[in-house]
Amino acid sequence: MDGLFSQLVVLGSSGMLLTAIIILWRRGVPAYISAYRWQSWLLAALTACVGYFGSDAGLYGGAIALVLLKGLGIPYLLRSMERRFGAQHELRPYVNTETSLLAAGVLVLFAYALARPWMAVSALPTRAGLPLAMGLLFVSLFIIVSRKKAITQVIGFLMLENAIALLAVVGTYGVPLLVEFGVFLDALMGFLVMQIFVYQIHETFDTMDVEQLTRLKH
Amino acid sequence: MIEMLLVVGQTLAGVALAPGLVGSIRWTKARLQGRRGAPLWQPYAELRKLFAKERVVSHNASWLFHAAPFVVFGTAVAVLSLVPVVFVPTGFDSIGDLFAVVYLLLLGTFFLALAGLDTGSPFGGMGASREMTVVALTEPTVALSIFALALTAQSTNLGEIIRQTVAEPARALGPGHLLAFAALFIVTLAETGRLPVDNPTTHLELTMIHEAMVLEYSGPYLALVEWGAALKLLIFFAIAANLFLPWGVAFTPSPVALVAGFALFVVKIGALGVAVAVLETRVAKLRLFRVPELLSASFVMALLAVLSTFLVR
Amino acid sequence: MTIILLWASPAVATALAILVRPYRRSVGEASVGLAALSLLASLWLAAQALSGTVTPATATDVSRVDSLSALLAVCITFVSLVASALGPGLGADRDGNPILFRRLRLARSAAAPELEAADDEDDPAQSRRFRIFQNAFALTMIVAVTANNVALMWVAIEATTIVSAIAIPFERSKASVEASWKYLLICSVGIALAFAGTVLAYSDFVSTAGHLPDALNWNILRNAAPSLHPELMKLAFAFIVIGYGTKAGLAPMHTWLPDAHSEAPATVSAMMSGVLLAVGMYAIARWKAVVDAAVAPAFTNALLITIGLLSVAIGAFSLVIQRHYKRMLAYSSVEHMGLVSIGLALGPLGTFAALLHLVNHAVAKSMSFLLAGRILRRYDTTELARVSGLLAAMPWTGPLFAAGILTLVGLPPFGIFISEFLLLKAAVMTDHVWIAAAVLVLLLTAFISLVHHLNGMLYGPVPAGVRIGESRGWAVMALGGCAIVLLVLGLLLPPPVAALLDRSIVELVR
Repeated sequence: MDGLFSQLVVLGSSGMLLTAIIILWRRGVPAYISAYRWQSWLLAALTACVGYFGSDAGLYGGAIALVLLKGLGIPYLLRSMERRFGAQHELRPYVNTETSLLAAGVLVLFAYALARPWMAVSALPTRAGLPLAMGLLFVSLFIIVSRKKAITQVIGFLMLENAIALLAVVGTYGVPLLVEFGVFLDALMGFLVMQIFVYQIHETFDTMDVEQLTRLKH
Repeated sequence: MIEMLLVVGQTLAGVALAPGLVGSIRWTKARLQGRRGAPLWQPYAELRKLFAKERVVSHNASWLFHAAPFVVFGTAVAVLSLVPVVFVPTGFDSIGDLFAVVYLLLLGTFFLALAGLDTGSPFGGMGASREMTVVALTEPTVALSIFALALTAQSTNLGEIIRQTVAEPARALGPGHLLAFAALFIVTLAETGRLPVDNPTTHLELTMIHEAMVLEYSGPYLALVEWGAALKLLIFFAIAANLFLPWGVAFTPSPVALVAGFALFVVKIGALGVAVAVLETRVAKLRLFRVPELLSASFVMALLAVLSTFLVR
Repeated sequence: MTIILLWASPAVATALAILVRPYRRSVGEASVGLAALSLLASLWLAAQALSGTVTPATATDVSRVDSLSALLAVCITFVSLVASALGPGLGADRDGNPILFRRLRLARSAAAPELEAADDEDDPAQSRRFRIFQNAFALTMIVAVTANNVALMWVAIEATTIVSAIAIPFERSKASVEASWKYLLICSVGIALAFAGTVLAYSDFVSTAGHLPDALNWNILRNAAPSLHPELMKLAFAFIVIGYGTKAGLAPMHTWLPDAHSEAPATVSAMMSGVLLAVGMYAIARWKAVVDAAVAPAFTNALLITIGLLSVAIGAFSLVIQRHYKRMLAYSSVEHMGLVSIGLALGPLGTFAALLHLVNHAVAKSMSFLLAGRILRRYDTTELARVSGLLAAMPWTGPLFAAGILTLVGLPPFGIFISEFLLLKAAVMTDHVWIAAAVLVLLLTAFISLVHHLNGMLYGPVPAGVRIGESRGWAVMALGGCAIVLLVLGLLLPPPVAALLDRSIVELVR
């Protein structure tokens, strides 16, 4: 059973990492939204899996909340945002596609190196997912830094939150329920505020290109 | 002795089958597109026709031009003898090595590119430079994706890898395996000149990669080059099928195992051929500057495959 | 219970501002009153902390107010009160002097012409938004410093980001939208990293002690710290410093700070620069106490000193090329937070200096930003080159602003001189003489730049179109009060404050 549990966790975490790499690869925002949706569903499935194998019923609630909020709610809001602004394509991001993909590989390697002490210490069967979660964290950071459209940065931030949720799930079988609740609330509020700001950027600048936000220098 | 005969036999069988594989992919594509399609043995007829024709060679061509078809065909046959198609030999196993496979294939491609440049025709040069761009990104991916398997099997010997995977079936579900398979599949499409990287049925020279390099060839030379290309397709399919789904490969020279192995092999590459045909029907050709993006993505997948098998023990 | 009063006052004020539509001036006045109430509550808690009790007594409660928390709570409520009193929606004259209890004043001085002529310039919708978000901001900060559970502290700090980000772009100009987007994105990323660090520490705790229900309470974490794994806690602390350091404005994560603090309205900037940065440093200090019990302090000290020196350097050098006075104040904040970070790494005396610096800086920076707001209203420009003759044009604001800047450069008799002196002393005493030398050089750079800019603003001719003279409003009185507080803290460190600081050291560096 342990072997199967471990395999499933690694499969799910790798899937989540791959969805983040898709953002570095593809160019259209609808693809990004689908990638985020897949990632959230994978996270929810993983949480439920850990709840089943780790005999922790609270995680089922967490999985359901994840599906509702991040699997359905936020992608719906993202898609309405994207429809409102028309087709957005990352035509010339700060770092081009091939270099981004290679950088993602290097970041995952770095994450493996960082996560080694943790994996050595942890005795949980889910510990194989730890470097993948850290890799997802760094790749999300890279997405935020290297992309130009505000909406892509928002999606990168959402993936960062997924990465940390994954870290909590595979590292400690989830954090206490009250903390989980607070984190969800914060995530939702943060996203709503970001949405407001993306609209404001679009209204004030007539573009979602973050490169235009250069009025404030020194 | 028997093993050597069996290896020679499976090599010859592969050489004989390769054009049939190409024909079956073409036939499947035709049917999917609503046409009747040429029969499966059409490529054999084409090869026979080409061997009977006269060879026309440019005045500017050097010995490279004459040598390249033989190198291409020869390396392809050599690699086919190294890859376990139906039977895994235990005798002279140590030659069936990952790096030998990768570099022999690269040798063939290298000579073909040189031959494209040799006659001085602009299309040949264009094809050669495009092919080198593609190959520069695919060779490390091929090596890495098989290396991911080699790490779990603790050996770069292809036969050993197959043996280990059969012994532990759970590994075949691991993310390392799946990622490596995905990377290898994309690389197969790139190396054998299939959509979405290169359209094998195009007649517009500016869209060609592989075809442009062999534009100057005619007669038996062209036959050898085409046959070599078909062999390359068979080799990649055999690697993909037998390394990742090795059940059915015979370990002993018993007739039952051999027949079963052969049948399963045909089924596996048939399935892969249908998958490629369906993909070719659905997908449009990528613009040339987007090809490195696709290949970088496959490289990263192979890299992740290596990382997940190497660092998680 | 006092803590409930402390939390409830800003909560009630927020609710009041949300519920009352359209905005009425009484909401603003109630808001100020409730802010005063929360200040009283925090003073009461400070008095309790002085007498040695930690509120509440049990170690497993949601909130925990020891001397450090009480000290910071007093700072937060004080700055919120001043900001609340000077905010829009109270009826203000053209200088931004709020007219509190307007009817009372009118009744007393029936023939005061400047009051008659004054209009309530503030847009009711804007005032309402300000009251809502200012009180919510104060609430989240107070919860952050009085929470026992480090995860609750995290939730509160994340909430401060969200709430203050909405409060920045009050006029929807390109610059303010850009500033708030940068602020929101960078700080949210930083906070997420801080959560990763929290999860790391929690997982380590769980692996050694099992799933305890109160595992994330600070004192429980600290007591269990010696049994935690050093490598893991080092990694966790690195994440924590980068994460909360983003909130605290430490370099190299400080890039949001000059933009956000210069584009926000003066009252919001005062709160952000004065106390929000302090809350970020508070979080780092709390985690340092935990990690130091698990690992030898050398690692955390080295990390904090590196980041601190970098912040001081970047702050000081950016001050040289400044052209806008609000950004100047913002970079000064980066520099001072760097000093606090260095102080935390220099043992008990250094921690004392750092905490005293936090208190002094809170008062000085908020006062300076509020004064900058008045200057902006009068001169209608943010550029240093176009502000001159301040002493002549605004006879009260000018000298107070000068006092604020002189405080920030560390001149006696103001409080920051004492804390910087103690910091340098601590550096020398712990054999970090090179750090003391570097800090001195950088402080000198900052001194020269700031005084040079101040000179340009104070003296010279008054530009055309700028009204001269100012009415003696409550605002000036309040800001004058801040200056007096700074003098008091500098000349004679009042024993209660010193005692609170001493007890905080004991809590942190056991």
